[in-house]
Amino acid sequence: MQLQGLNKTFGSNRVLQDITVELPEKATTVIVGPSGSGKSTLLRSLNLLERPESGLYQVADLNIDFSKKISSKQVLDVRKKTGMVFQDYNLFPHKTVLQNVIEGPVQVLKQDKNAATKEAYELLDKVGLKEKADFYPDQLSGGQAQRVAIARSLAMHPEYILLDEPTSALDPELEAEVLKVLADLANEKQSLIIVTHNLFFARQIASKIVFVEDGQIIFDGSSQEFFDQRQGNPRIHDFISSMSFTGIKEGTPQE
Amino acid sequence: MWDIITYSLPQILSAGVKFTIPLALIAFAIGLALALVTALVRISHRGGVFVIVKGIFRFYVWLFRSTPLIVQLFIVYFGLPYLTIPGILENGVKFSPFIAGIITFSLNTGAYASETIRASISSVPNGQWEAASSIGMTRGQTLRRIVLPQAFRISVPPLANSFISLVKDTSLAASITIVEMFEVSQQIAAENYQPLIMYTLVALVYAIFCSILTVGQNYLEKRTNRHLNQTEGE
Ligand SMILES: Nc1ncnc2c1ncn2[C@@H]1O[C@H](COP(=O)(O)OP(=O)(O)OP(=O)(O)O)[C@@H](O)[C@H]1O
Ligand SMILES: [Mg+2]
Repeated sequence: MQLQGLNKTFGSNRVLQDITVELPEKATTVIVGPSGSGKSTLLRSLNLLERPESGLYQVADLNIDFSKKISSKQVLDVRKKTGMVFQDYNLFPHKTVLQNVIEGPVQVLKQDKNAATKEAYELLDKVGLKEKADFYPDQLSGGQAQRVAIARSLAMHPEYILLDEPTSALDPELEAEVLKVLADLANEKQSLIIVTHNLFFARQIASKIVFVEDGQIIFDGSSQEFFDQRQGNPRIHDFISSMSFTGIKEGTPQE
Repeated sequence: MWDIITYSLPQILSAGVKFTIPLALIAFAIGLALALVTALVRISHRGGVFVIVKGIFRFYVWLFRSTPLIVQLFIVYFGLPYLTIPGILENGVKFSPFIAGIITFSLNTGAYASETIRASISSVPNGQWEAASSIGMTRGQTLRRIVLPQAFRISVPPLANSFISLVKDTSLAASITIVEMFEVSQQIAAENYQPLIMYTLVALVYAIFCSILTVGQNYLEKRTNRHLNQTEGE
């Protein structure tokens, strides 16, 4: 996955400025940065929930030029390749957990319902929620809901899963169970792009870190380099200090 | 008094079965369908010529919400027969009282209910649209499978209110010569000079009809809320 010269404005607010970055497959990229820096906008652009005004976007064999009109076929193709997981889950409240997971496969991929159901059970098992298949989202904890949301996006077999602060709405214990699922996916070489404020988790899971500030990419490199640059680069240093990240908590339970 | 009741109640109930209930049921069914179409047109993002269609529906809603129902009934039943367009429409538009009632009550209910449905659709969180489109569902699929079912749950109480209002408003049909319950009670009161008993009696019958609807509303609300956590919304 690759972005070249991406620009997005909201009114006079230049939210993304000339973003050029490679987001490797079979790896975990973590996007960090201060609040309002454009992380969500960047991530949502990858699923075409936001439409930048210009820039090139390449994912697998698809090429999108944001300065041209994007056909609904292109939109659908990109969405099949990129699954989205939201901060507040956005599960369908009137459908059971199982129905949430098979909705996309059956309606969009036109999969056979029995086959989709069988696979949904496997995915729910994978996120540890097989026994909740017939529950409604309202009967789940936040951590369970987010794991269902992850299963729902996995059911579409996307190349990339995009997660926007997937654990920000969760208490620490519930956060840990979601992070565990993500760590498992990362181990299986599922391509992940995660926006998070949790630098401990970022350090553990990221193969690559992209640091965004004021709509620009300030740093783009390995996790190791990012945390090493803390001393040299004042902007990274300030950011890491502002997150009150000291590195002491290394090796927390999520591992 | 018992004699008065045993004499007049059957007549009132029979008028209810023949006119009040059919008027309310048919007008509500047509009104709901019209309301759904109107709401969907009005929230549509389509441009071009469709903007004109949207304008027409907006005008319709405005017209029926800003004029009295009884005046609407009079225009449709007494007024339209005088509508002539030289060369095209020479003899006006004439409806039987019952059809005029159905038309007016349907259009009126449709205008109000369309606003209810529109509000319910927009109260479904934007995240639902985003989640559905992020997995590749089309706008139509999202509406049909994700948004409308949730909007329906939200709109049950206000739509039930509209239905109850409609049942009571059918009493206005007396003014266009439909012999519904209120008209029958007026006729009997004119014969037996017992207006207090007659109008109280018919009021009770309306109250019973509306109470039955309220029971139905509660049932429907329970059913559509069954996916919600038991501790919520109680
Ligand atoms: N729909 C919108 N309309 C107008 N401005 C928007 C919209 N969405 C985002 N913005 C603005 O774009 C900028 C970037 O927002 P974005 O949500 O991408 O930041 P973020 O890095 O995800 O922040 P946070 O860490 O708080 O989630 C902000 O200034 C925000 O106010
Ligand atoms: Mg954000």
